[in-house]
Amino acid sequence: MPKYNIGTAGWFYKDWVPNFYPKSQSGGFDWLQFYSNYFNCVEVNSTYYTYISPKTVEGWIKKVSDADDFIFHIKLHQDFTHKRKYDEQNIKAVRYNLDLLRKSERLGGLLIQFPYSYLFDGSSVAHIQKLRDIFPDISCFVEVRHSSWKSNRAYEFFKENDLTFCTIDQPQIGQAIEFEPIITNDKAYIRFHGRNIEAWKKSLSNFGKQQTYEEQSSRYNYLYSPGELIEVEQKIKSIQQKVKEVNVIMNNHPKGDAVANAFELIHLLEDKTKVEMPGTIIKAYPRLEEILVN
Amino acid sequence: MRTIFHLDLDAFFVEVERILDPSLKGKPVIVGGDPKYGRGVVAACSYEARKFGLHSAMPIRTAYKLCPHGIYMHGHGDEYTLFSKAVKNILEQYAPLIEQASIDEFYLDMTGTQKMYGSMFAFASRIQKEIWERPGLPCSIGIGSNKTAAKIGSDCMKPNGITYILPGMEKEFLAPMPVETIPGVGKVMKQSLNARGIYRIGDITKLPSDYFSAAFGKYGIDLWRKAHGDGTEYLTIQRRRKSISREQTFGNDVTSEEELKNNLHYLAGKVCQSLRNKSWEASTVDIKLRYTDFQTLTRAKTIKPTDDDKIIFETAWGLMKKARTRRVGVRLIGVGVTNFSPLSEQEFLFEDYEVKRKKMMRAVTRVRDKYGYDSLLIGSAKLDKKISKQQNYFQV
Repeated sequence: MPKYNIGTAGWFYKDWVPNFYPKSQSGGFDWLQFYSNYFNCVEVNSTYYTYISPKTVEGWIKKVSDADDFIFHIKLHQDFTHKRKYDEQNIKAVRYNLDLLRKSERLGGLLIQFPYSYLFDGSSVAHIQKLRDIFPDISCFVEVRHSSWKSNRAYEFFKENDLTFCTIDQPQIGQAIEFEPIITNDKAYIRFHGRNIEAWKKSLSNFGKQQTYEEQSSRYNYLYSPGELIEVEQKIKSIQQKVKEVNVIMNNHPKGDAVANAFELIHLLEDKTKVEMPGTIIKAYPRLEEILVN
Repeated sequence: MRTIFHLDLDAFFVEVERILDPSLKGKPVIVGGDPKYGRGVVAACSYEARKFGLHSAMPIRTAYKLCPHGIYMHGHGDEYTLFSKAVKNILEQYAPLIEQASIDEFYLDMTGTQKMYGSMFAFASRIQKEIWERPGLPCSIGIGSNKTAAKIGSDCMKPNGITYILPGMEKEFLAPMPVETIPGVGKVMKQSLNARGIYRIGDITKLPSDYFSAAFGKYGIDLWRKAHGDGTEYLTIQRRRKSISREQTFGNDVTSEEELKNNLHYLAGKVCQSLRNKSWEASTVDIKLRYTDFQTLTRAKTIKPTDDDKIIFETAWGLMKKARTRRVGVRLIGVGVTNFSPLSEQEFLFEDYEVKRKKMMRAVTRVRDKYGYDSLLIGSAKLDKKISKQQNYFQV
């Protein structure tokens, strides 16, 4: 069985109180520390919007010091993927933080996510190749969302460059790539965006417009049902012999749905009959009680 | 001699509901309609509810009278499909042939697998355990030399049972069972048999087949054979035949060639849109033509795999022109495609005309996904505003 790293995309969501984080928090209560009691990895998304200061990263490392094998997956800044305008300074800023994490053995890998509109063609491939050359020694997980990438030629390119082809579960609209694990190196990286088709469509039509947090996150508002989880479990298990490491990231964050589903996937994928969970989540999602450690 | 398994998921809908909401465990749960409105029938009920005399297909109103404290629910159809598929995925790992008889029933042809899996009884227990552990559903399995025997086997040890009817022992096994155990024997047939003094399956085998053919015709012989433990030995395997088609019935019958052409172009475009959304190409194009007098013709042609509106429309129009030999009005036209293959991967090798067109068609698809199909029409494609009925078919 490969090593499973199962967690969520981000840990700082105010609407995770009280469904995951308790309502009454003492002065020393820290969200990341609390999170790391239950999960062994997290995907950092704030690094996509801003260049985080090394001090902040050092703070993270300290906070998870009690969790032995806890790792961070860092999402690459949008300058590299969406705007495609970056300079040496930007590279250095990203690089420095990655090295900090790596030195303290807390680095999982670098998530390089492209938008739906990013199609498989010569220039896209050349761009990814360039990014690979900038970060040659880091595990890179590349997420593309358009079905034009469903091609042996694309997979070959990933294999040649030791890149992980991210498997994503997203609402099936237009030519969205469907959930089908593709193995291109010894790791798998699987992201769950929820299946909220209506909200997803709406957010596509509001793309680029000023939106509130609620509007922005509503497309991720989705709780996977037990049947859907069994379906993905079977698909993930069908590839687990081919890789050494499987990373599973839940991005359906509103209200804490991602946390609940992540616990369920720990139960299903790691074959754990019982999972350690805080009382808060059981209260919010009673079906989890079945798999709670007594 | 064949080895057929019949696997039946016990109180399937109820068990799925219990996975969705574990607090339903141990309670009488009834999936079906809402007793408040007195409509519907029991689709499934838990064993706790069966103690009160409830059974599948019973009107909800009757069920409510017998078990007013039961928990009645409409059920989650999508979840049932997912769980059924999960079970099928497990079975596909072991069984060379599977026939899915319904959402919660499967026949497996395990003939010749003894060397691989050892004792069939132990193997059935292994499958049962696997389905119990995950997806978390109980099932009963019957093993017999034909489908009927296997089905009766799985029925007689519910829930969570395994019955292995030894080859050659079918008749003896069935003899003491009541006649209604035979699949297909309902209330009326049971009464009719009972009226003749036939209560057990063994009573049937004591009489000659002529007796049953005289009383019940062809069905009688079938019944007599089943009572002897005979039954179908081969599974019905569904072939993966898929087609995408669109057809259109005109409000007023059409005689103008141009109008037919425009409409056909429109329909072909819609078919191609579906194709592109699935990232498929098709290599057979077929058309349907119905005249005013309901004479209906179909024609098909095989071409190089494509998802291009232009090619599919031109092929369809060619077929249509050839097929339409009469000078009477046309009531309906349709176009469809079959023989699918995944989208060709050679497309980015050369930037030739074909590649450019493909890219353009993808852009068209995206615009249509966003703004609706009619936001962008190509060439002569035109929708008949007087259409009385436009039908879309997906056959999967």
